[in-house]
Amino acid sequence: MSATSDNVPPIAASVIGISKRFGKTGVLENISLDVAEGEILVLLGASGSGKTTILRIIAGLEQPNTGSVILHGRDVTNLPARERGVGVIFQDYALFPKMTVEKNIGYGLRIRRRRRKEIRKTVDELLSLVQLEEHRKKYPSQLSGGQQQRVAIARTLAYKPEVLLFDEPFGALDTQTRTHLRREIRALLRRVNVPSVFITHDQEEALELGDRVAVINKGHIEQIGTPYEIYNHPATEYVATFLGAANILEGVVREGFVETECAQLPAQLDIQKFRTGDRIKVVFRPEDISLSRTDFLKPGHLKLGPAHIEEVSFVGAYERVRLRLERPGEDCENGEQPSYYLTTETPENRPHSIIATRPKPEASSTQVRIGDRVVVAITSFTVLPGS
Amino acid sequence: MSTVVPTMRHVRGFDIVRPLSVGMLVFMMLPLVFLPLASIFIFGTSNGLDKFWAALTQPDAVFALKLSMATSFWATVFNVIFGLFAAYVLSRHNFWGRNALIVTISLPTAIPTAVAGFALLLLWGPYGTLGRFLTPHGVQLMFTAGAIILANIFVTFPLAFGVIKPVFDTMSRSLEEASATIGATRWQTFWHVTLPSLRGAIVSGALLTFARAVGEFGSTILVSGNLAGRTQTAPLYIFAKFNEGQIEAANAIAIVLALFSFLIFSVLFFARDWLDVD
Repeated sequence: MSATSDNVPPIAASVIGISKRFGKTGVLENISLDVAEGEILVLLGASGSGKTTILRIIAGLEQPNTGSVILHGRDVTNLPARERGVGVIFQDYALFPKMTVEKNIGYGLRIRRRRRKEIRKTVDELLSLVQLEEHRKKYPSQLSGGQQQRVAIARTLAYKPEVLLFDEPFGALDTQTRTHLRREIRALLRRVNVPSVFITHDQEEALELGDRVAVINKGHIEQIGTPYEIYNHPATEYVATFLGAANILEGVVREGFVETECAQLPAQLDIQKFRTGDRIKVVFRPEDISLSRTDFLKPGHLKLGPAHIEEVSFVGAYERVRLRLERPGEDCENGEQPSYYLTTETPENRPHSIIATRPKPEASSTQVRIGDRVVVAITSFTVLPGS
Repeated sequence: MSTVVPTMRHVRGFDIVRPLSVGMLVFMMLPLVFLPLASIFIFGTSNGLDKFWAALTQPDAVFALKLSMATSFWATVFNVIFGLFAAYVLSRHNFWGRNALIVTISLPTAIPTAVAGFALLLLWGPYGTLGRFLTPHGVQLMFTAGAIILANIFVTFPLAFGVIKPVFDTMSRSLEEASATIGATRWQTFWHVTLPSLRGAIVSGALLTFARAVGEFGSTILVSGNLAGRTQTAPLYIFAKFNEGQIEAANAIAIVLALFSFLIFSVLFFARDWLDVD
């Protein structure tokens, strides 16, 4: 949520104007972001988007071409990794294979030449924090993936890192373990209250884990905001697409509303960004759609118009309906392409239809079949500048 | 290491191919490997163990064994340290000429040992490329224990390197990166993280080098001068005694060397898995 009150948590780590090139290929361009004290920031992006490079630059494993890294007010841009005091949880955990669990956890303190008593006490505390007391004498290869990950976290917590950096920490695990571990780690991070940066390409993971999510695309930040903001109010078409399927209607800005081919939707637009007559895109999620047999609209529902059902499929938790909107004045078959599409497909073979998903109770109360004519309404939408 | 070999059934009933093929393998190895080895032991002990013991404890024999052990030991120490260093440099840094360097390091195994010894003579000998400048100053490297060590280093040069390098290559970089982010210096990372992972490779590289050096003959006979009691290693002793017709003396040392290499290879075979336990 946007923090407007006076007790804004102080910034723990920030990256200012980072750019990075590998040879001639630019990987990052002018990246700036902050992590507040105790916050979990997720960097979400496809592989090759540059998100791992951001993490490695914060850790000091990679040197940026321009820009700086600030940790708790200290400029660490030119410090080597070992002097930064960050904790990195690698994708493969990078536990030392020849050390037992307790030796792994105590490593940071041993190389800092702390007294043996102190090391033992810290290791004991961390072992109970990550609930691995009975595994202390085991070697990493004798532990499950989830246990190894907890050892990796405990190993970094031992030296009280300024910030924790997670590099796709759930990448190597199966779906069930991932979901379970994700919740466990979120709870753990809440308890230790260390600011954290997560990297993932999994949108569900990003939404569940992050206090804020930064969507990275081709080396720049597309949008940064709370999971609610980026999911419901995507700032760009890329963000809308990356966080799941999105329906898009092309349209034009009018006085107090936006006009699309089939409907007029009331919208209060930012006059800084949109002028009357501008081409825009109306974006809404499949679950924002409600179907009904009659023209009667529930309060808060905005009518898009009548449509024909093209396909109904059952996808486990919900029903998915593919619809073709009726175009006013003419029948669908002739002439130019309709001005709406679904963003999950590539631009060439985007079907000119929209997708609605309906939870089971709704699906069974208003049953639809292929060929049926229904009235489509939406509960919320976002307006993006059109191309 | 115990591996269970899954066997597929090809035929109904008793499969004659299996005992036949195993028997054939043993039969082929008999004249090639087993019998020559067995005859050392049969001959060496045929006159009684006291004769064997007497031949073994002759001063020249004891000296030859000790000299072999000592020269091989120092060659091993050098080549393991060098191999470790070379493997580190060549797997961690990419530079122009890297592959050429790898080939050059591996070359000495391909060169006939007599050629290696000859090459050392041509460099360090009294009339050699460098030796001719050293000899007037009283520095004579050839025909000493030092020359034997040099020859051993040359012929076993790539062995430890060859065992250690693949381990370096496959080692996950994130281990070293993790160690660095935790706060370790380069040296601490090497000592606590990299080196323990190389333990198995270092031990087997050392044993391999040592075993090869103890048996070295071709280069040693050229550079050592083959002086009994001074620069005569165990293999040279066997050769010398055989030429003098003292078969028992040669045989006693042969038994010791054969047992010794058998021991080393057993250790190599079984200890590797044990050392590499995670």
